Amino acid sequence: MARITAGVGSSHVPLLGVAVDQGKTGDDYFGPIFKGYEWTRQWERDTAKPDVVILVYNDHASAFDANIIPTFAIGCGEHYKPADEGWGPRNVPDVAGHADLGWHIAQSLILDDFDMTIINEMDVDHGLTVPLSMMFGTPDKWPAKVVPLAVNVVTYPVPSGNRCWALGEAIARAVESFPEDLNVQIWGTGGMSHQLQGPRAGLLNREWDNMFLDMLVGDSDAVRHIPHIEYLRETGSEGIEMVMWLVMRGALGKQTKCLHRHYHIPCSNTAIGHIVLEPVT
Amino acid sequence: MKQNIHEYLAEFEDIPGTRVYTAARARKGYWINQFAMSLMKAENRTRFKADEKAYLDEWPISDEAKEALLARDYNRLLDLGGNVYFLSKLFSTDGLSFAEAVSTMTDMSFPEYQAMMAKGGRSPEGNRSIKGGY
Repeated sequence: MARITAGVGSSHVPLLGVAVDQGKTGDDYFGPIFKGYEWTRQWERDTAKPDVVILVYNDHASAFDANIIPTFAIGCGEHYKPADEGWGPRNVPDVAGHADLGWHIAQSLILDDFDMTIINEMDVDHGLTVPLSMMFGTPDKWPAKVVPLAVNVVTYPVPSGNRCWALGEAIARAVESFPEDLNVQIWGTGGMSHQLQGPRAGLLNREWDNMFLDMLVGDSDAVRHIPHIEYLRETGSEGIEMVMWLVMRGALGKQTKCLHRHYHIPCSNTAIGHIVLEPVT
Repeated sequence: MKQNIHEYLAEFEDIPGTRVYTAARARKGYWINQFAMSLMKAENRTRFKADEKAYLDEWPISDEAKEALLARDYNRLLDLGGNVYFLSKLFSTDGLSFAEAVSTMTDMSFPEYQAMMAKGGRSPEGNRSIKGGY
């Protein structure tokens, strides 16, 4: 049987991808950011060794344009190419999908009252490839297959934190009913505090971000009830991406234990947050 | 937990210096954003750079929005329904970093903006609510 063994939260700032691609991860600016991921890279490689990652992220006007806006979309394809976001595509390996697991989750979720959009073909942008680089480094081939799960966090209303958490719970039920023996991780990406638009751009909130990280650990589910307006006021207009971490947290069940945590300000316009959680059963 | 959509949207207008990308903005700026999206293709970037005005004239975009696009007036583009993730295709076509493009929407120069970010970013203090002033 497949099982969810761990959850990872991480920012997915595009500049981190640039740092990896240009070999700058040890310099004065990026060094402190990447140092906080060293523990995770080693753990992923030597201990955790996931077969599949369900990677919750948002598309930044790459695969989806303004025409079609799925609230929750799941990738059921065999492979995905890095998107050209205006600079040419990142020179990272293509992403291998897990079509069997993707379709199994999609079908199960629909029966479980989550009306998913299904994607067969798409290019994946920094929202998906930057977390892979942060957690897996620069291999010739990504060590795990990926089931992309794209959430609309751009056009309002975006899904509530409560709905994201409940989706995570349903994903966990779906994974547990997949017959193959698979070690599955779920990653929630995006955030933390940042605002990329308007005169208030550059807003960061260390205190709130750390409160959010605290709330992911243990047996409380209070974090699922934070309303959108609080994310917007406290963490900037793009801080709302943190609702995607709640899909990950919801999938880990009633209680979690924190294995690793990292926070750094700033990376470009953004606060970097990272957490590794294990379900407590 | 369930909230009335009018109350939900009204709260967004109370955030200083912020245009939340609501459905109303998405409708208004649809073609601005679709134009920006077209710049993901290398051949379109080349054509746009060769003659920006001619390229824009191929799109059903208002004259006001064309002017704002030519001027790279990003705050005005937000008012006209542009969204920053779409507009970022124009940043990269111009060879601007995200941070530099974003800084043009503030009252700071890029070096001033970078200095603010290095010191921990813009504080939320006083920046959360127009009416509440907190």
